[in-house]
Amino acid sequence: MNKTKRFCAIALAAMMAVTAFAGCGGTPTDTQTASGGDTTASTGDATGGDTTAADDGDPLLGEGAAGPISLKVWGPDAAQAVLKDQCARFSENMKAYGDITIEVVPQGEADSATQVLTDSSAAADVFGFACDNLDKLVTASALLEVTGADADFVKSSNSEASVNAATKNGSIWAFPETGDNSYCLVYDKRVVSDEQAKTLEGVFEACKAANKKFVMDAGNGYYSCLFMFTGGLKIDGLEEDGITQKFTDYDETTMVNTMLAFHKLFTENKDYFLNGEVTKIVDGFKSGTVGAGFDGSWNFSSAKETLGENAGFAVLPTINVNGTDTQIVNMFGYKLLGVNASTAYPNTAIELAKFLSGEECQKERAEQLNWGPSNKVIAESETIKNDQALSAILAQSAYSVPQVGVAATFWTPVGTFGSKIADADNPLDEAACKEIITSTIANVKDE
Amino acid sequence: MIKSYKLQRTIADVVIYVILAVLGIIWVSPLVWLFLHSFRAEGGVTVPYVFPKQFTLENYSKLFTDTDVFDYPRWFLNTFVVAVFSCIISTLSVLMVSYTFSRLRFKSRKMFINIGMILGMFPGFMTMIALYYLLKAMNLTQTLPALVICYSAGSGLGFAISKGFFDTIPRALDEAATIDGATRNQIFWKIILPISKPILVYTVLTAFIGPWCDFILVRIIMGDKRENYTVAMGLQKMVDREYKQNYFKQFLSGSVVVAIPITILFLKMQNYYVEGVTAGGVKG
Amino acid sequence: MTFIEYKSLTPAQRVTYKVKEFFSLLPGRCKGFFSAIGKFFVNLFKSFGAGLKGYGARFGAGDMSTKLSYLIMGFGNFTRGQVGKGLAFLAAEVLYILYMANFGLVYLDKFDTLGLVAKREIILPNGRKSVEFVDNSMLILLYGTMSILLTIVFIAVYVANTKAAYEAEQTQKAGKKNLTLKQELADFLDGKYHITLLATPVILISVFTILPLVFMIMIAFTNYDQNHVPPGNLFTWVGLQTFRDVFKVSEGASKGYTFIQLTKWTIVWAIFATFSNYILGMVLALMINKKSIKFKALWRTLFVITIAVPQFVSLLLMQQILQDDGVMNVILGYLGIAPISFFNSTALVARVTVIVVNMWVGVPYTILQTSGILMNIPEDLYESARIDGATPVVQFFQITLPYMLFVTTPYLIQTFVGNINNFNVIYLLTAGGPKKDLSLYQAGQTDLLVTWLFNLTMNSNDYNTAAAVGILVFIVCATLSLITFNLSKSSRNEEEFS
Repeated sequence: MNKTKRFCAIALAAMMAVTAFAGCGGTPTDTQTASGGDTTASTGDATGGDTTAADDGDPLLGEGAAGPISLKVWGPDAAQAVLKDQCARFSENMKAYGDITIEVVPQGEADSATQVLTDSSAAADVFGFACDNLDKLVTASALLEVTGADADFVKSSNSEASVNAATKNGSIWAFPETGDNSYCLVYDKRVVSDEQAKTLEGVFEACKAANKKFVMDAGNGYYSCLFMFTGGLKIDGLEEDGITQKFTDYDETTMVNTMLAFHKLFTENKDYFLNGEVTKIVDGFKSGTVGAGFDGSWNFSSAKETLGENAGFAVLPTINVNGTDTQIVNMFGYKLLGVNASTAYPNTAIELAKFLSGEECQKERAEQLNWGPSNKVIAESETIKNDQALSAILAQSAYSVPQVGVAATFWTPVGTFGSKIADADNPLDEAACKEIITSTIANVKDE
Repeated sequence: MIKSYKLQRTIADVVIYVILAVLGIIWVSPLVWLFLHSFRAEGGVTVPYVFPKQFTLENYSKLFTDTDVFDYPRWFLNTFVVAVFSCIISTLSVLMVSYTFSRLRFKSRKMFINIGMILGMFPGFMTMIALYYLLKAMNLTQTLPALVICYSAGSGLGFAISKGFFDTIPRALDEAATIDGATRNQIFWKIILPISKPILVYTVLTAFIGPWCDFILVRIIMGDKRENYTVAMGLQKMVDREYKQNYFKQFLSGSVVVAIPITILFLKMQNYYVEGVTAGGVKG
Repeated sequence: MTFIEYKSLTPAQRVTYKVKEFFSLLPGRCKGFFSAIGKFFVNLFKSFGAGLKGYGARFGAGDMSTKLSYLIMGFGNFTRGQVGKGLAFLAAEVLYILYMANFGLVYLDKFDTLGLVAKREIILPNGRKSVEFVDNSMLILLYGTMSILLTIVFIAVYVANTKAAYEAEQTQKAGKKNLTLKQELADFLDGKYHITLLATPVILISVFTILPLVFMIMIAFTNYDQNHVPPGNLFTWVGLQTFRDVFKVSEGASKGYTFIQLTKWTIVWAIFATFSNYILGMVLALMINKKSIKFKALWRTLFVITIAVPQFVSLLLMQQILQDDGVMNVILGYLGIAPISFFNSTALVARVTVIVVNMWVGVPYTILQTSGILMNIPEDLYESARIDGATPVVQFFQITLPYMLFVTTPYLIQTFVGNINNFNVIYLLTAGGPKKDLSLYQAGQTDLLVTWLFNLTMNSNDYNTAAAVGILVFIVCATLSLITFNLSKSSRNEEEFS
């Protein structure tokens, strides 16, 4: 008995030494998110102190007066050079008001929201993210709201759809960065003619003639939602609970007919259809086994590199449903720049995000990175019009459902839905289609 | 009669050779594929044929020179350092715990053993977020020591095999030493450890390999701090949607480079490994 | 009955014996197991009570210096020649108070509600909005749990301190000298050596394994789901609601249905994955180690080399090879066989595929792990079987397999539990697919419970559901393995060599 207890004394001493360090080390960095005791100090000062500074026209609201400002920005690898350049320019512009150091750290847009939600105090002050993460981020209050003049700026300079993508509960929560986060038809011009690229039947016909494959990731909700949207069943934001998906009303007959049309096409062209990841498209171009595919805009430069002049880009084709050519409708996303709510310099960070979302920066990204702009002026510019890929993806936005208000539970069941349509070995009939569509909706809503 | 018996045995042997050869080829061929395609010059992720058409060393040279996005050499070094340290701590913990449970008798020993056995059965990743914030409270997030802690802190729970090994060492040895006036501390270091080479090697080997394989914990602990990634994390990132198209061949060559040191180590130490696990496994 | 005696029975007798033994032992073992758990708690409370009782009694009986130890820890030891020990107790007290004052109390204070105010909005002078976060439920829960555990440990130390002070007093009264620090420390290298050896591992495990575990268990009793994600939102205690949701089997897609389906598959998977590896590994080990077979090192190396490639690499590799347009289908094409969609066609094909791939990954380990043990099987068993005219296959099933099962039960249990929690194989190979069953909630047909949990936490942020399912899986695994482990021969004969 005695022994155990003395052992405990030693154990405790050691444990407490460890945790005491923990306490000392943790408190200062944690104040932002955790204890709340003296946090008001940093933001409070900025708020109360320098109202006069604003009158002087200091866009940083005196944040720079207290000492050097350091910010962290997240952007994908491909954009590092451009982003660094733009951030340096921002610091230069703001030199008069404060000494701003901006660290640009590579972090893909797909992952950034997860990272912010894991630990917002360690995340970047300004970060790019895909707009489908907006709900998650807003629900967790991880973003600073865009208000007043900033909101007007966002509304006036960007396309309506991209503004919608940044809006939730009637407020704007982020600055649009690009307007191209989607996919369209990419094809090898030697296989598929521009004319054939207009209909999915034509695409298959061309692939059949050349004994090449058409690729689509039909088991992935991001792509397979097009079956649903083309059939007239679209998503309509979230219910009031903030997590349950709402759907628009739809005509069951049209929906079923569309599903059957896709299914029939895939079944008939079984040998010319590859249901797999989008990387298989460019791979297939390289090895000469693929003729066309529904590929994402982030892969466009690889496609151009591989096919050179023969690279074709077009809006998604039509499909013949009971005799009428129906335009395929897909999901269209935007990349947004968010300001981390845990930032120590809210004003400077908002200012920076605004700058990066501006016309000049968008133009540079379009020219240097081939990123489709959300800015209205740039979208109409010659740069875009001369680029087949960018104009195709921008044109696609007209035939799409914006990727906003998508429930976390949407992707898996819709992926399943797509797998079933693309499954040539298990024929579908009308009854099966009805069953599939109802259970997909039920599953997304978790009923 | 004898002849047919002999014939039977020869046939049996031939059958065994054939089975071993066929299965051996099946087992090795994915690795051969990995090795061959790590030199592939053409194509991206997949190619519609078995053997590469052109060979190049570029995938390897890029791995070590093209370090802007994927700093492979740095990650390799990180992993090595983490592996060495966590291997030392793990080995010590495992040996200390298993020796205690095997040789020393004290109150609530059985309870400790039972608790130790079931603690490892909770799905590990569930506790990651808690681990992250504990490390954050210690100001260790995004550092290599944090990884060392994560990989080695719980290692004491893996005492089963080496406890089994220690159980097989006759207790007469301890008793003789006690009569000669040795303390338990001396018995542990001077008598038991020197004859426990197989289990030592087994423990070192398994502890060393761990950090080369984990890609989930690193992601959450390191966040955006790329220079502190480990090889596994980096390789996993190379096949993310964003990079796969361009980096898949580097992923292959990177995998080969990781596998080489472990393979050499493993083949060298194989016999100890077998010896350790045999003795330990029987007693469990 | 020894193994040899057992082998002298006829096969029929053996089966009867085994079955009888199993069922006769099972109730007792189960009972023993649960009564052991009961006893554990009873003892815990008893020793707690005894500690408290002694605590009061000693206060009354002790002198001034002992009484002072109730306030200033270590005082009694300090005044009676045990300076080092006294200081250690004092240090423990000071550190505990410092910790609580600086860190622990803030969180402990809010532990009952897990925070009341999540955030405040701040309007900047130019009209922009900023946010200040106040209470973070997750941190309150985590650091609160930590403080509670630490307090429990501290109370134990505190009571030990009063006892030590009293004992020191008694020793002095009896006219004996108290042990010096040096003497006490020396004992830690001999009589109390187990404490010395266990201290560091136990501390490490407590902080980095047990504490996070307790935290996760607590999460199951809160509403920490996708709608209550910190820092912007608070979550709070909801009791058993989460468990009720898990078991609620409603129509259509529901967590309950998914839980049942996935549990079934997880068990099937664990059985097949464990025994396919075990048996094939053993057969291969026997073949390689057969006396007349040459090039043993070569054969063994062929198989073992796959271990050296990090598991996730070999799994990603296999995933690539078995794609619809992967090299496997290319080879099948050469052989004139229609391509197989390994991961995307039917649940059965995908399930068989993962089990086979798992064999590729796991069999080499079994070869290594069983080779040595196989060599230990008494040769005379085989000899007598050969005289009886048993074929190698019969020998395997009548001698090798029972013997191995007999000897390696603990290893098998470990593998079995490991397979139930086998995350990598499923996550990297199929990611749960094929996803063709629309009644499953956020899961595919090869998803194991553990990968489902991962999806729930990562994609939908349903931490509470994940924690609840985790607890259920944990309880099943732990009970199963404790019972079988304590049933097995190796545990009962542990003292054989002593």
